[in-house]
Amino acid sequence: MTLLVAGALGFLGLAALCLSLGRHHQALWPNPPTRRRAIGLRVAGWALIALSLGAALHIDGGVFGPVHWLGSLIGADLLLVVTLSYRPRALVWMAALAVAITLGAALA
Amino acid sequence: MKQGFRQSMAWLHTWSGLVVGWVLFAVFVTGTATYYRTEITRWMQPELHREAAIGPEALARSADLAVAHLTAHAGEARSWFVGLPTPERPLVELFWRTRPGTPPGHVLLDPRTGAPAAMRETRGGDLLYRFHFELHLPPLWGRWIVGICAMVMLVALVSGIVTHRRIFSDFFTLRRDKAAQRGWLDAHNVSGVLALPFHLMITYTGVVTLAIMYMPWGVTAAYKGDQAAYFAETGQITQPRPAAGQPGTLAPVGPMVVRALATIPEPLERLVVANPRDANSTVVAVFEEPHGLSHEHPQVAFAGTSGEVVEVLSGGLRPAAKTFTTMVGLHEAHFAGPALRILFFLCGLMGCALVGSGLVLWTVARLPKAGAAAGLGWRLVHTLNLGTIAGLPAGIAAYLLANRLLPADLAGRSAREVQAFFAVWLLVAVAGAWPAPRRAWRGALAAVAGLFVAAALADLVLARGLWDDPAWFLGFDAALLAVAAGFALISHKVDRFRAPGRARRQAAVPAGTAEMERA
Repeated sequence: MTLLVAGALGFLGLAALCLSLGRHHQALWPNPPTRRRAIGLRVAGWALIALSLGAALHIDGGVFGPVHWLGSLIGADLLLVVTLSYRPRALVWMAALAVAITLGAALA
Repeated sequence: MKQGFRQSMAWLHTWSGLVVGWVLFAVFVTGTATYYRTEITRWMQPELHREAAIGPEALARSADLAVAHLTAHAGEARSWFVGLPTPERPLVELFWRTRPGTPPGHVLLDPRTGAPAAMRETRGGDLLYRFHFELHLPPLWGRWIVGICAMVMLVALVSGIVTHRRIFSDFFTLRRDKAAQRGWLDAHNVSGVLALPFHLMITYTGVVTLAIMYMPWGVTAAYKGDQAAYFAETGQITQPRPAAGQPGTLAPVGPMVVRALATIPEPLERLVVANPRDANSTVVAVFEEPHGLSHEHPQVAFAGTSGEVVEVLSGGLRPAAKTFTTMVGLHEAHFAGPALRILFFLCGLMGCALVGSGLVLWTVARLPKAGAAAGLGWRLVHTLNLGTIAGLPAGIAAYLLANRLLPADLAGRSAREVQAFFAVWLLVAVAGAWPAPRRAWRGALAAVAGLFVAAALADLVLARGLWDDPAWFLGFDAALLAVAAGFALISHKVDRFRAPGRARRQAAVPAGTAEMERA
């Protein structure tokens, strides 16, 4: 459960950070990001990663929370890198799925 | 030395990584496999049938049967270890030590009858677990070598971080369309940086696990070198009771087991009997760890002749000891449920990829020019790379395959399995030394894939009738096939890859990369 929620939030955060970089932004959009857009993506990225840590701590407490958070973040990042490398367009629906998982968990 | 700090760190990273890389690769692979040690053991003993539950009376009875067996067959031993049956592994596993320097005795018993269990003899996942920190050498040698390599790994990790200038932008980048060197560097960076928290944690806690052995001076000074006294005083083991030198009779252990089970709410794991024939014998009941990060086994110690409780050890560690046991716990990850265990396993695989790609990168960055013969050093590194990176997985696959192919009642069976492991490893390493590098890699990796497929097929064909839970065995075989597919894919990639022109590539290496690779 924690792994899924923290992983989904972490995936969104890492994806935002990664899209703030010119090379990866161009995998989805024709141009490199504008300065404002890059900063916006970075702020959103770090905020989402902080949120995923918050979620893990909230669900699992201070002992297992950080362990689950780091584990899920590494897993999410591995998934992101492989996706970017082989099927960058799949990011769109994977991000949507991650949002759905997070919302589902928040409402449940 | 006119070089800057970063260049000297790059030099340190390259050479510290190279000299210990082969041992580290083996340590990472066997350590990663050890996350599934009990599963590997279970697969290698398909005769075993799990049980729903084992009650206190059944446990007490099997403990009595175990002691009866040990009294008859290992009466002279200094200490007995009785692994008690669990629903997952309903067997009594006995070890005994007679004197230092002789290998311990070992037998598996049926927990109901006390007769030797009708089961193929194998070391199972324990071979890989032991190899992870002893390399199949005498324990002291193996532990020192692994420890020194792990310390150098820390050096390589930190110098690697310092060398890496664009950690943030390289974090997400895996370029597959560029030159081989670029691709290998990306793979090395990504596997290293993504799982960096894991790599730092696992290497550091790995060294800490054996820290008392590597740095014994504190214990030597404070306890006159008596490590048992140190462990007892910090609350990690029960107080040792020295032998009286008078003969004594061990009281029945069944009632002790019942009493211990009533004291501690965790599952009972094993009994340790010290000086079983002495008037001052001790029986220690060791329980599984309660759920938590820390590696702490609750224990109840009994006076062996009277059966009285002499000590109960359950939690209550002071901060320093707690720090130590938490680090050991993090390293072993016994707390991890199925999903987290998969993540730990993936991180372990990334560690293997980190070390393996680093080793390959050394040779790729120093490829001899077209037409020129490779130097002796390059050939040596290439041969050791192939012998380790393809040889060890081939050995593991052969170990699993031998488990299914050797007759179940063969004398010295478990030793033969280990021989198959090392023979195939050596064979791949030697056979890989002769062909041209690319052909050698392609062939060796394809052979690894073939061996893993063969192990899965041998299980399907030869052991299907023995499975107690077909879905579980099919799942394990599917995992073997997935490993095989991974190796087949890499073999295919090696075969298909066409490097861009060598001369053009050298001229076009960006400054940042050249700095890392030339160092």
